[in-house]
Amino acid sequence: MNRITVERVKDEAKNVRTLFFRWDQKISAGQFVMVWLPGLGEIPMSLSYIGSLKGITVKAYGKVSQAMIELQPGNEFFIRGPYGNGFQVESGRKLLIGGGSGIASLLPIADSETDAIISAKTRDEIIFADRFPDSRLFLATDDGSAGFHGFPHDLLDRMDLSVYRKIYVCGPEQMLYRVMLKLRDRHVNAEFSLERTMKCGIGICDSCSVGGLQVCKQGPVFSIEQLKDNPEFGIYRTTYSGKRISLNMK
Amino acid sequence: MADLSTSIAGIRLENPLMLASGILDENGYTMLDVMKNGAAAVVTKSIGNEERDGYSSPIIVEYGDSLINAVGLSNPGIDNFAEEIRIAKQAGKPVIGSVFASDADGFTSLGLKMQEYGCDAVELNLSCPHVKGFGLEVGSDPDLVEDIVNEIKSKLKIPVFAKLSPNVSNILDIAKAAEKADAYVLINTVKAMKIDIRARSPVLTNVYGGLSGPAIKPVGIRYVYEVKKETGKEIIGVGGIASFEDAVEYIMAGASAVQIGTALYTKGKGIFRDIISQMNTFMDDEGFGRISDMVGVAIR
Repeated sequence: MNRITVERVKDEAKNVRTLFFRWDQKISAGQFVMVWLPGLGEIPMSLSYIGSLKGITVKAYGKVSQAMIELQPGNEFFIRGPYGNGFQVESGRKLLIGGGSGIASLLPIADSETDAIISAKTRDEIIFADRFPDSRLFLATDDGSAGFHGFPHDLLDRMDLSVYRKIYVCGPEQMLYRVMLKLRDRHVNAEFSLERTMKCGIGICDSCSVGGLQVCKQGPVFSIEQLKDNPEFGIYRTTYSGKRISLNMK
Repeated sequence: MADLSTSIAGIRLENPLMLASGILDENGYTMLDVMKNGAAAVVTKSIGNEERDGYSSPIIVEYGDSLINAVGLSNPGIDNFAEEIRIAKQAGKPVIGSVFASDADGFTSLGLKMQEYGCDAVELNLSCPHVKGFGLEVGSDPDLVEDIVNEIKSKLKIPVFAKLSPNVSNILDIAKAAEKADAYVLINTVKAMKIDIRARSPVLTNVYGGLSGPAIKPVGIRYVYEVKKETGKEIIGVGGIASFEDAVEYIMAGASAVQIGTALYTKGKGIFRDIISQMNTFMDDEGFGRISDMVGVAIR
């Protein structure tokens, strides 16, 4: 377990904050860590900055993440990892598709040849739009309050995807699934970063599994080839107890 | 080529390697994948009569190649588990249903459901060291163990395995209480804990957990040896197996088959094929024609 001190914080949106810190550890884009707040609990987090100054972008949704967005410079937390396989980044023009806070784990692969679709429920929840020039940025909101009115997979219908060497996608599984179906039909090279209920982070507890693959160990980044015929991706997941539930996608 | 097949309580296994309960065995597709990777059989996660979340994270501590866990018997409840068994059975290999309860009636109703779902055997978790009212608290009481094993044996057609704990003063007393079981599974995890000195705090939410992996292998070998020597009953060895040498050591101590769990953390699912191939070479080199030629060969 590594003890980490918060160096500075940046508020990205309501209930979304990036914590910056120093950690002498090589991390590839798309890998994740388990963050522990003693007495409160432990959650998986991807990194939004992976250079010498590292960052994790936290959206408050539970007890641990709520406590994390309240951390101030000088406060401490604990980390184990990094875990999992990151993105296989290819040179050339790329498109990032980030749903909600999913754009955070895609940020480390953004370069001058990168276009981005950032989607959110509403305008106020869009984060990291300032990281991309207007000419390379496509916004989409469920309620139409900013950019395209609708979901990323619908926006893809209006775009020429043949210009991209590879597409990198992160966000809620329902969104990933819809995007995967679109990209599969158009034979596009793509990778997807999945998020599922995760407990151990090291490939043994079976909580995050999707069709026999462990998101924490064989993922969290999977190629479109690994997902397109997966019997559970976008269809079923298991809850914290291990109960199988339908994602109601079909 | 040596013959790696073996049998336990009349169940034929294509090789002696099974997946241990509690590791990658909550989701039917994962169990299917483990068997596609060479495991001869799987034991499911321990299932109870009611859905249970278990403990909140942290539920695991890495300790070198070993692990300390306190998952807390999280499970979807027996009524929600039929689908996972159905999926796992697509491998065409034995699926053993692990169950936990606090008394004979609880175990028996779980065992009957596992039998109905198509399980090839039932493994009684009499040994989880970190949940009040279950596991070890049941499995350290010889009278209660005897009651549970006798009751479930009288109601089930499929074999019953009793998974015993090393966290008792005399395992032979418990083994004797469970003597109507078709085989013993030895050993469950060893009660343990981890303190992070910089956090000045126990790491596991439950404070106490169970140690598994290479750190407990010598303990497991000793229990398998002792119980085999004293009872002669069929044994499935488990605890710290991460190489073909470990598996052979358990077999020579008296195990007819072995289970692998924690090593999936360090070596991944490929460990089954690796051990099978290396065990084959070992048996050819050492002149063992079949697994049964090695079982208990070290017992003096």
